[in-house]
Amino acid sequence: MSLDLLMMALAVGVATYAFRFGPTKLNLQGLPETSPLGRFLAATGPAAIATLFVASILPMLRAETGQALPLVFGTTAVLAVFFWRRSVVAATLAGALAYGLTVWAAALP
Amino acid sequence: MTPPATFRSGLFAALPIAMGYLPIAFSFGVAATRAGLSEAETVMLSLVIYAGAAQFLALALITSGAPLILSAFTLIAMNLRHLLYGPSLLKAAGQGASTGRAWAWAFGLTDEVFGAALGHLARGGRFSEPFMLGLSLGAYASWVGGTGLGAVAGGGALQDWPALDAGLGFMLPALFLALLLSILTRPQLPAITVAALVTVGVTLGLSPTAGILCGMCAGAVAGVLGRRAA
Repeated sequence: MSLDLLMMALAVGVATYAFRFGPTKLNLQGLPETSPLGRFLAATGPAAIATLFVASILPMLRAETGQALPLVFGTTAVLAVFFWRRSVVAATLAGALAYGLTVWAAALP
Repeated sequence: MTPPATFRSGLFAALPIAMGYLPIAFSFGVAATRAGLSEAETVMLSLVIYAGAAQFLALALITSGAPLILSAFTLIAMNLRHLLYGPSLLKAAGQGASTGRAWAWAFGLTDEVFGAALGHLARGGRFSEPFMLGLSLGAYASWVGGTGLGAVAGGGALQDWPALDAGLGFMLPALFLALLLSILTRPQLPAITVAALVTVGVTLGLSPTAGILCGMCAGAVAGVLGRRAA
């Protein structure tokens, strides 16, 4: 194993771990809900999830190959199953299943 | 009051993440061995760094011959967004959230694990460290396992199963959409809308990494300003 590669991985791994673990030790118990930092932290979660959804679906929307139909069926399945069962796990699995089945059906002769 | 979530329920909540990680980690394993890394080096990157986008970028930097110190700084900067996840999650968890074992579960506080934990709290679940451990461990095992499989199997393994490959590839977008629905409330709409629009604009104009960081920060600032104006 390359020692240089190992050292680089360790440096990045330790820094990433510090970013994830370090801030969990901040004392936020006394932080008022209405303070700017309190509002910022409360809005970070929804903003992060919206960002990650857009970032994950954008390459599919920009792809030239026929991904539109699977995307429509996959997204519809997520919406339908979520509003039916209120389950993130069930909605996710249904969306992936609908997407995969549409790709399979589109490839049939 | 609902009881604290268990380690087992954390593992169950990790299921869609694990299924979404598997093909991506598999792809990383294939790409890394094609780039000239040994199987051991490939798995080591997933074991130690455990940050998908940063790992793919690491491959690009390594194969382009960039100095390792420059690569390390670039990858570290890319992961800065993780600074916000712990405080945001603990703020949502409320008073009395224990962090005694955060040294273990915070290692696995990736984008997806953070989103799933936040969704769990938004649906009325209680924060618990065993749940976080289960969630983190399930996702981590899938990431490392998928990398190993990709490194060993090579690129042709899923070529005979295009529908399965496509379905697994849609797992993470589906997960993020379901998580977004689970936390969607009227007061959060400004943050969500601004985050989405800024992500699209910056991704198309600059890069996907900048798009994620700018979208997240702009959405959070919009949440602050929106609530102040309300």
